Amino acid sequence: MNTAFQKAIALIMSADKELLNILSVTARVSLTSSVIALLIGVPLGIWLGACRFRGRNILLVLNRTLMGMPPVVCGLIFYMLFSGVGPFRSAKLLFTVRIMIFAQVVLITPIVAGNMESYVSGISGAVRETARGLRLGSVKSFLLLCNECIYPIFSAYLLAFARAIAEVGAVSMVGGAISWKTNVMTTAIMEYTNKGNFAMGIALGIILMALALLVNILLSLVQRRVSR
Amino acid sequence: MKINSFSKTYGDRLVLSLPDIEIKNGAVCAVIGANGSGKSTLARILSGNEVTDSNASPLSDVAVGYMPQKSFAFRMSVRNNLLLNGSDTSRADALMRSMGILPLAEKKAHRLSGGETARMALCRLLMRKYELLILDEPTAAMDMESTALSEKLIETYRRETGCTVILITHSLQQAKRMADEVLFLDQGRLCEFGDAKKLLFTPQTEELKKFLDFYGA
Repeated sequence: MNTAFQKAIALIMSADKELLNILSVTARVSLTSSVIALLIGVPLGIWLGACRFRGRNILLVLNRTLMGMPPVVCGLIFYMLFSGVGPFRSAKLLFTVRIMIFAQVVLITPIVAGNMESYVSGISGAVRETARGLRLGSVKSFLLLCNECIYPIFSAYLLAFARAIAEVGAVSMVGGAISWKTNVMTTAIMEYTNKGNFAMGIALGIILMALALLVNILLSLVQRRVSR
Repeated sequence: MKINSFSKTYGDRLVLSLPDIEIKNGAVCAVIGANGSGKSTLARILSGNEVTDSNASPLSDVAVGYMPQKSFAFRMSVRNNLLLNGSDTSRADALMRSMGILPLAEKKAHRLSGGETARMALCRLLMRKYELLILDEPTAAMDMESTALSEKLIETYRRETGCTVILITHSLQQAKRMADEVLFLDQGRLCEFGDAKKLLFTPQTEELKKFLDFYGA
């Protein structure tokens, strides 16, 4: 155990090429998917939180259901759509980084939208009433509402990134965990542990935990700022 | 200032029904009544924050300024909150000085206390000229000193602009100090409306008598 741990530290310190490749694929998948999820989820969340319309409750229930969707189910759906018998087989996306990003976007967009909706619906009534009382106009009211959302947007992004980087079910199914191509940290930990190569697993685990710690520190700083 | 008759129901429940009434131009009309009598609904309808059953506004083209019960402090400095409603910085400073919040001008508004937020919200509203000012319990979160400053500021604004003020209040003392007219609501219906002194000292209906007795007028 001690030897595996020492080897893991050595792998990190020597910037092992395979380790760096896994980190780079992970960063590409997680950062891209979380940014796309943010671009879709933030306007969607603000819209759901600020506007009252017929069918809104159905959309909220649907979004909450998607927030809890098991990653393997998402992986299964994408696998079926893009596999050799699926309707999108001609796109030839299965076992590529691109489809891993798509799958993660589907998984984490509802989280971003749900967080934004919950924050915005808490303040939108008071913002609207105050702005209307001052006769500020709908464009200015909307901009003021968006200004109130700056810190919650950071917070939603960090949550989305944390979910993306720690996710394993969907990316392993649609990415196939191919070495030097689609292997991300979580799938690589599984692969190397199954092979008995604990050093690489521990090295990746240390980095993953360090990233999780960093994200949580940032998240708590943002949340402290929001609550003040 | 004419308010056309209207009604407001939520589902099957009638929350407010008002006949045509006319408030004297430039007067302060205090709206009093127990919790759930429809005071805030009246303010929200007159300010355009809620629609009547017929969707028609009870007011004809009037510039209305409205301070809700829970005013929102936007995430920016106190001074910038005021400047959302006008660009005159000297007026903003004068208003803040009159309410004793000038030292807080650069402080983030969302970090103010409840009473400070209410004072800031009143200053922010008074940055612009309105024909009708609707204030929904503007001093509920304030201490006695701030309440006195607010009443003085509202009175000064009214004298300078000639606007009509609808003041929703729980305080009969405040109604006595400020109001020219009083509108008493009971369970969503207009019970009495008229000259403040006459109405508060010689109530005509049992409902208002009970209300005044209960609140120790």
